[in-house]
Amino acid sequence: MTAASVSSADPRRQRFRLRIRSARDFAGRFARRPDAVIGLAILVVFCILALIPSLLVGPLETATTASGSALQAPDAIHVLGTDDLGRDILNLTIHGTRISMMIGLLATLVTIVIGTSFGIIAGYVGGAVDAILMRITDFFLVLPTFVLALILAPIVLDLIGSDALVFGIRANLFVTVIVIGVTSWASTARIIRSQALSVRERMFVDRARVIGGSRLHIMRRHILPNVVNLIVANTVLTFAGAVLTETTLAFVGLGDPFDPSWGQILNAAESRGAPGLGAWWFFAPPAACVVFVVLAFTLVGGALDDVLNPRARLRR
Amino acid sequence: MGGRYLARKLLQAIITIAFIILLNFLLFRLMPGSPDRVLARNLPLDVRQVLLERWGLDRPVFPDQFVAYVGATLQGDLGESFKFQGVSVTDVLAERIWPTLVLFGLGEMIAIVIGLALGAYSGWKRGGPVDYVGNGISLVLYSMPYFVIGMILLIVFSGGLGWFPTSGMLEMGATYGSFVDQLLDFLSHLALPLTTVAIGLIGQYSILMRASIIETLGEDYITTARAKGLTEGYVLRRHALPNAMLPAVTLVAINLGYVIAGAITVELVFGWPGLGTLTVEALNSRDYPVLQGVFLLLSISVVLANLAADLVYGLLDPRVRT
Repeated sequence: MTAASVSSADPRRQRFRLRIRSARDFAGRFARRPDAVIGLAILVVFCILALIPSLLVGPLETATTASGSALQAPDAIHVLGTDDLGRDILNLTIHGTRISMMIGLLATLVTIVIGTSFGIIAGYVGGAVDAILMRITDFFLVLPTFVLALILAPIVLDLIGSDALVFGIRANLFVTVIVIGVTSWASTARIIRSQALSVRERMFVDRARVIGGSRLHIMRRHILPNVVNLIVANTVLTFAGAVLTETTLAFVGLGDPFDPSWGQILNAAESRGAPGLGAWWFFAPPAACVVFVVLAFTLVGGALDDVLNPRARLRR
Repeated sequence: MGGRYLARKLLQAIITIAFIILLNFLLFRLMPGSPDRVLARNLPLDVRQVLLERWGLDRPVFPDQFVAYVGATLQGDLGESFKFQGVSVTDVLAERIWPTLVLFGLGEMIAIVIGLALGAYSGWKRGGPVDYVGNGISLVLYSMPYFVIGMILLIVFSGGLGWFPTSGMLEMGATYGSFVDQLLDFLSHLALPLTTVAIGLIGQYSILMRASIIETLGEDYITTARAKGLTEGYVLRRHALPNAMLPAVTLVAINLGYVIAGAITVELVFGWPGLGTLTVEALNSRDYPVLQGVFLLLSISVVLANLAADLVYGLLDPRVRT
């Protein structure tokens, strides 16, 4: 790039300094919100649990390596009691963190990629393309997507076979990722489109078009960077939704018993009648984890939204 | 109400329903695990051929099968359940819809009244103790899956205190002396699931209403009303509330699609014999026709609820009638 050299330092350096300053500015505003800091702290704890479960509680217990007897109440050895197979609940819950967070993350990525592509293309290209894409988006917004996910999951599962491994992920979990992604991108697309519409009218987009930039180039290098703020806040909020949806899908029986997520443990607790038996320790730990993580993502997402997009108050 | 507004909303709803029917058709016919495979798994070739002809599956997917499907769907014929052999999907749905309607109709009503009141009050006294506590509780409830609320209620009031039965809609095999006895039994079974639904929804609705009233309070006409010397209560009742209610009502209708996910799990926890437990039963036995029927029924209900909300909105707010 041959920009006219401004003042003294070279432009690259100045740009870098500018970035640092705006990042510091952002961190300052973010840190001043107690809800954001609490949320972030909770997330850090869960990320650690997800990264090193085996270091903390040893390998995942199975029916054959269970360390206790069935449905023991919490005591000194099994701090959170055991399930119906004698497995330690603390062990299961901490290992479940990795599954729940990973499924949540992958599903969020799929959602954001689909939603952002739809939003940017619709907003930038406009015309008939916009009309068609937005009709599809509205359709998915109205649809009870959870029920659609319930129907899609077994169909996709029959299609790829329930014992298959896809990208190293077990089929049940892979299907969950796809199903959440396919059914929850619509609100992201709407939000991104409205921003893309306004960015399109800015001067630098005209300039890029005049010097012969292709549509793809303009969407990637000019529109995308200008909707990134919205994407970031939206990603965090989508993550919260994805964790909730995964939990619910696993709870109704679409989880993987061999890679138990929190929802899968809750499903086991429910189907063994734990609430009726008074075995609160069977479902309280995974349930508390779900609530903490979703709450933390909601707090952080809300704060990010306020800090990054002070004017675009998003109606959820 | 403007005729064009009405026509546009109606047309949109009809197009959406058409899309839903199309999607339903595609999901079942064109994907692997198609009816031909599901029906005719492990059957000799000639038996299979008879079956295919019986169900019209030997004909081309388009247009023959599609036309037949749409025609049947429009007449309310959704096929037969795989699991309950010989029972039509429509009959299965009809039997299970009432428990769900009772549970969620009542739950919605309770939650709308309490949630909107709580949200309005918190937003009005923003930063006050009620707002602080209420908003905190709402956020936690919002992060909590419905079935977790249900499990907690179940373990406390049913397992622990023994006040309410754990599951079902009526006592199994019970005979009743009078209608009142039966009603009482029904109500004691209803109490916990209903409370679960109401608690779950109250969190969402109060967050919606709080945001809406805070936005309204920033408007110029509220400042004007206060400047005229009107009492706070009057400003709230006559100026703020009516305007804040509008977006909240729409959002309640839009939320219906999400509420259904909760509905399914709450019914599962309490063994409530409605559409939610039906969905899970159908899911576990891969009863595709029933699953499809549930999807069709629920999505069309949601579209109609949205349409109703749009029309009510148009009736109440002249600005949207264009």
